[in-house]
Amino acid sequence: MDFFKKTLDPGIALALIAFFDIFLFLIVGAWTVGGGETMITGLVAKLFIGDAINNIPFWQLVFTPDAGYWKIYISLGMFFGAVVGAVASKEFFIRFPRRLSEWIMITIGGLMMGVGIRLAFVCNVSTFFGLTPQLNLGGYLSVIGIIAGAWVGSIIYKKSLGM
Amino acid sequence: MSIIGECFVAFLFGSIVGLLVQRSRFCNTAALRDAMLFKTYRNTKALLIAMMILTIGFTGFISIGEGKSMRFDVGFNQIIGLFIFGIGMVLAGACTVSTWVKAGEGNFGAVWALLFTFIGMFLFSLVWSFMYWPPAPSAMTGEFNLETLQLGYANAETLQENTGIPAIFFGLLQFFVLFAIYKAILRKENKQHNDQEINQQNTPA
Repeated sequence: MDFFKKTLDPGIALALIAFFDIFLFLIVGAWTVGGGETMITGLVAKLFIGDAINNIPFWQLVFTPDAGYWKIYISLGMFFGAVVGAVASKEFFIRFPRRLSEWIMITIGGLMMGVGIRLAFVCNVSTFFGLTPQLNLGGYLSVIGIIAGAWVGSIIYKKSLGM
Repeated sequence: MSIIGECFVAFLFGSIVGLLVQRSRFCNTAALRDAMLFKTYRNTKALLIAMMILTIGFTGFISIGEGKSMRFDVGFNQIIGLFIFGIGMVLAGACTVSTWVKAGEGNFGAVWALLFTFIGMFLFSLVWSFMYWPPAPSAMTGEFNLETLQLGYANAETLQENTGIPAIFFGLLQFFVLFAIYKAILRKENKQHNDQEINQQNTPA
């Protein structure tokens, strides 16, 4: 099948995703990832620390761990779709970062993404594919933040590459 | 719709997204980083196309009272939070979408990034439990509140309610702004292409 042999134009891919996102907006709400990831965090934490999670106000007042939260399944679906795409196109293979500096950058980057999402209440997906197209003030504030952050991140990235 | 129905629709949507992003190699991080660092716009143009379609689609349906808009107060925490996130995604080399997609391709670095995103979220939940900021959804008022650095709630719905003008009108304005940015990128790419051709012609054989 040609679809699994050639790289798809990202413009076409994103136009299709936007089309389906409009349907999602009508049925349950626009595409978002951060909320689902937070709920997964809560569920995993509950698995490890049990009822002690009830002593942390955040998990009572902001996100109460609930496996029936629909946003979790967007993330799981993305993982599933990517596995299908990678296996069908013979692009699936286990790979690891090679250098210690990569591990450090990924670790710090991951932590910053997690903190940033929870502080802002939104992620990059809600920013570009949810809030801003809904003309939400939060979307514009988030766009300012993420562009400034990406710029600073790019300078650090550039220096780390010795560019 | 039942909870199971909602979860099924979300999973179906996510699967389509995962497949399309995997096949197209789209990355939100690259959409910003590559435009800033390398002056290449493959992902930036795709991002703008999606935003243009979504702006018309969302505001069109909001105009007739349909759709489920995101409702929560916004404030300076959005700027600070996404600033931190923006640095993090460039360092990690992936955003929220590409971490899941790359993890699905067998990339352990992406799995590691996801793991530490979860750890970052959990650490923030501990910090939040001491400072209670930004306000929890139940404490949001929808109004300007200087004390909590919240600006309230405003979107296409409130614009329509307050002005009496259909949301699609404001959506069209945003569409044209995004389209102008898209056209400017195309012009820049054409110029880069022409400059390259001139350089090649001037290079001695």
